[in-house]
This record gives sequence, C-alpha cells and structure tokens, in this order.
Amino acid sequence: MKTKILYTHKDLVEQSKSGDRNSQYQLYELYVDAMYNVSMRILSVKEDAEDIVQDSFVDAFKNLKSFRYESTFGSWLKRIVINKSINHLKLKRITLVPLEHHEYYLNEEINDQVITFDLNKIKAGINELPQGYRQVINLYLIEGYDHIEIAEILEITASTSKSQYHRAKKKLIEIINTP
Amino acid sequence: MDDLEKYIKENKPLFDEHKADRSKMWDNIESRIETPKSNTLWKSPLLKIAASILILISGVSVYNLSNISGFNQNLQNNTVHNELRDIDTYYKGLVSFQVQLVKNNQKLQSKDKKEFLSFMDELDKEYDALKLEMAKNLNNEYILEAIINNYKKRIELIENLLKQINNSKKIDSNEDYIL
Repeated sequence: MKTKILYTHKDLVEQSKSGDRNSQYQLYELYVDAMYNVSMRILSVKEDAEDIVQDSFVDAFKNLKSFRYESTFGSWLKRIVINKSINHLKLKRITLVPLEHHEYYLNEEINDQVITFDLNKIKAGINELPQGYRQVINLYLIEGYDHIEIAEILEITASTSKSQYHRAKKKLIEIINTP
Repeated sequence: MDDLEKYIKENKPLFDEHKADRSKMWDNIESRIETPKSNTLWKSPLLKIAASILILISGVSVYNLSNISGFNQNLQNNTVHNELRDIDTYYKGLVSFQVQLVKNNQKLQSKDKKEFLSFMDELDKEYDALKLEMAKNLNNEYILEAIINNYKKRIELIENLLKQINNSKKIDSNEDYIL
C-alpha cells in the first residue's frame, strides 16, 4: 500500500523525466496551488511565494532524474518549496526561532483550552504569531512534519522544535481566546 | 493530540486559501526549462560514432559537389546527375547502415533510439528537398552553393553537438540534486 502511494503519478513523473512538456504541465497543474499555499504560509508575500514556487518547479523538473520514489513526488516537491522558502527568509535575515528559553523543553500539558473552534479565528491567530512560532506551528500542524524533520528544515535541534511548538501553541490559544 | 491539534489537522485543506496565478507562473517556468532536443539526444558513444560518420559522408559530399561546380558547362548536367546519383547511393547506404546499427543496439533506450531516428528522418527530408531543387534548376550556381553551405552547416551542427555531449557529460556528473 505504502509503495503504491509512493508511485502516485508515476507515469507523469517518468514522462516528465524524459522532458515531455505536456506531462510536466500536468504535474504543475496538479501541485501548483498546494505548493503556492505552502510557500504563502511561510512567506506571506504573494510575489515572494510566486518566485519561490517557480524556482522550485524549475529545480524539480531539472533534477527529476534524481527523484527515485523514496517519497511521493508531492512531498519531494513540497520539501523543495519549504527549503527554498525558509532560505528566502534567512536571506532576508528574518529570525526564524526566538533565541530566548531554547534550552529546556516544556513538558507540562497546556491547560488552556480553546473556547470556540472558529477556523477564521485560528487562521488569523496563526498569522499573528511571531515568525518563529508561526513556522513551527505551520510545519507541525498543517504541513504534517514531525519535530525531527522540522529540526532539519529550520536547522535547530528536535528539542528546540518541541519547546518552540509548545510555546507557539500556548500563544495561539491565547490569541484565539481573546475576544 | 489535543482538541486544537485535532481540529486543525482535520481541516488542513481549508488552510489552502490562496490561488496561484497559474498561467503567468507556468510561462516563467517554461521559459526556464527550455532544453534543446540535442542535450539528451547525443549522449551515447554509439551516437557519437554515427555522428562522426555523418561528418565524413558530408565531407565527401561537399568535396564532390565543389568539384561539380568547376565542370565544363556542356558536360555539367550529365556529370552532376551522375555525381548526385553516386553520392545518393553512397549516402543512403551508409545512413541506413547507421540506422540499422542504432535499431539493433540493445544498450540504447527506446526513447534515445526514437529521438535519433526522428533526427535522421529530418535529415532525410532536408536532403530530398535539396535534391528536388537541384533537379528543377540544375545550372544554377546559387543552388549548388546553397547545397554546399547546407552540408557545411550540418557538419557544424554535428560538431557543436559533439562538443555539447562532452560538456554535458562533465556537468551531469556533478549535478545530482541534494535536498
């Protein structure tokens, strides 16, 4: 079953590997919106996200021969988009992870409870979070990475990722609960 | 997993709220992934040999045709006809030998074979068109010159392709994509 998933769109990928423009376009159509949203969640600037997504597709098509179905094409592409987006933030010298209180991990459960689940309020709350918190929340909850993967992406330790995530979630709940 | 995490994960698709400007972005991508057909075509050593032989054939043809233009006006038509017929037989024989060689080669991928053969078809068409032009207007020196120039251009093209193979081989070896 897992193998089957890894080979999603195999025909399109294989034809794209041999430079078939039509297959490349079909792959683009399938993934462009998802990738654009991934980049927008990190960068928040339309033009920057467009540039990054374009770069990512160009890189993906040019390096497709090195794609060997160790993941799905979508997650391979998404990782390219995320890495490029994070690098873009780094180039702009935006601090990804606040420096304070890195060293210990908040083990206790967060007691705060969300009063009402309103999707728009949650989205707005995530956008209000400081940059570092926002990235960890996005990568963990929406993009679905675990803390080891987030650690690789953000070049931090897994325990920093965990502690950042807990702080970020606490802050998010605080924002959502604010009337 | 607490309720907030569960709620966000369950509603993941709703976080994709942006729409990419598909056609604008594709135009930019497409312009950057344009690759000349020849890049992937001329990578096999066998194709190199075939190309070298083509250069040789073309060289012989250029030499023969150059001589034709200096012939006595009265004898020209017959001589040119004979020369053309000889070149034609010689050229066709060698080309079909090369094509057969490529078709029988099991190391070559079918895609490469197909591309090589389509290239050969293009050359054939060009040759036929020139022959037709010669038959219509045999005494015209300009057409003879055009044919010679055509051969020269083909040789130049093949030489360029050979250079590209050598260059692309060097680049390819360092080009594996690392995430």
